[in-house]
Amino acid sequence: MKSRHILRDNILFGLGFALMIAALYMVFVYVPTEKETGIVQRIFYFHVPVAWVCFLAFFITFIFSILYLWKRATKWDAIAHASAEVGIIFATLVLITGPIWAKPVWGIWWTWDARLTTSLVLWLIYVAYLLVRSFATEPERGARFGAVVGIVGFIDVPVVFLTVNLWRTQHPTTMIFEGGLATPMLMTLLVCIIAFTVLYVLLTVQSANLKSMETEIKRLKSAQAEQEDIDLWRT
Amino acid sequence: MLTELRTKEVVISVLVFALLVVVIFNFAFSTRADETELVAPGILWTALTFGGVLGFNRIFAVEKENSRLEGLMLCPVDRAVVYWGKLVGSFTFILAVAVVITPVFLVLFNLPLFLPKLALIIVLAIIGFTAVGTLFSAVAINTRARDIMLPILFLPVAVPVIVAAVKATALVLAGRPWGDMSIWLQIMIAFDIIYLVVATLVFEFVVEE
Amino acid sequence: MENLGYLLAAYTIIWAVVFGYVLFMQRKQRRLQRQINLLKESMQKQNSPTLPNP
Repeated sequence: MKSRHILRDNILFGLGFALMIAALYMVFVYVPTEKETGIVQRIFYFHVPVAWVCFLAFFITFIFSILYLWKRATKWDAIAHASAEVGIIFATLVLITGPIWAKPVWGIWWTWDARLTTSLVLWLIYVAYLLVRSFATEPERGARFGAVVGIVGFIDVPVVFLTVNLWRTQHPTTMIFEGGLATPMLMTLLVCIIAFTVLYVLLTVQSANLKSMETEIKRLKSAQAEQEDIDLWRT
Repeated sequence: MLTELRTKEVVISVLVFALLVVVIFNFAFSTRADETELVAPGILWTALTFGGVLGFNRIFAVEKENSRLEGLMLCPVDRAVVYWGKLVGSFTFILAVAVVITPVFLVLFNLPLFLPKLALIIVLAIIGFTAVGTLFSAVAINTRARDIMLPILFLPVAVPVIVAAVKATALVLAGRPWGDMSIWLQIMIAFDIIYLVVATLVFEFVVEE
Repeated sequence: MENLGYLLAAYTIIWAVVFGYVLFMQRKQRRLQRQINLLKESMQKQNSPTLPNP
């Protein structure tokens, strides 16, 4: 399992590293400081890609949950699980960097608008996903239950967003996200999005490998136990 | 027979719990007459939500102890039918709780008692609760932390229903016409349909053994 | 250069968390690989046991 993918892994790692360096350069050297909010605005260039990757991660979990329930290939469950794990990490980062950006710019840490609230609910749903898996009585059940939560939870996300959006438009907010980005800003954002997507792939592949290793260990252990039983029976 | 008795126990204890929630929240928030309308809908739905979650857990725990689920699984019955059977059972249960709690709540807050719009909101919301709750109860019961697992699974997913129910209830209590709250009713109906369909499809994966 | 502290905090946290996760996975990989090797060794010993004394 290790030697087959070493070339692919190395290419991916090299690409990711190069992209991150490029992203850092663009964020801190290339792109001009935004006029209104100043230097803090640069958080935006990592905050948005992290949020995007988080959503991508949960989408992958959704797809592979369906695939797992259909075909029952443990490799697919490993990907679904790994993606949710990486997704939660990125979701946590979104919920931390968001308020850090908001405090100097808007003066408050938090507001219950559609995006923030949906991010929080999303975080809670996938924490539930990971908890269900860890509290399951057997690994197979954990995979199955996880898949169910991964599917049901993902479907909930747009519903939550639309509902909270509607709820909030009744209370006019002062937080208006200015649309329209100047070209250098757009370029920087794009590079960062690509860099973080590659990072996501790297982390998820690695995490999925680890989960497959754990499954392999369990298989070996039970095969060993069987062998011991056979030996005992023979003697 | 024993199950029915235990179910009645659950209904009564959930009723008492929901009532306590209403009372405690009343102390938690200011009760000046002009402000009660702001907090009243939230209090009602907090009581129904948490009472409902508690109730789901107890009901399925009772069933599991009596191994009714295994017995049902032996019958050559489509899993979806099992789901809908449980669904109707849970729905009836929470409806019973709501039917008792709501008039008490309205009285405690000096609100008008005859509110057919509120009845519709409650029914729609409970459909949504039970659609999701029945599915997640079957999952939670089979984990090692069954009591805490259900709220953790259920509450985030139920957010749209809770938001819509509270908003719609607030509009009803303010005496607004159907048109104003139609969007919230639409959200609840959409949620109900989506989750009834998804849960029906997915339930078999939860109970296959 | 105002609010530099916030900018620094945000980026530091991102890098700390991501690197922390990478380190965590590396350590786990080493541990799991060791377990797999041990299990494979012991299974080989099982399949070709030493002959008992006559």
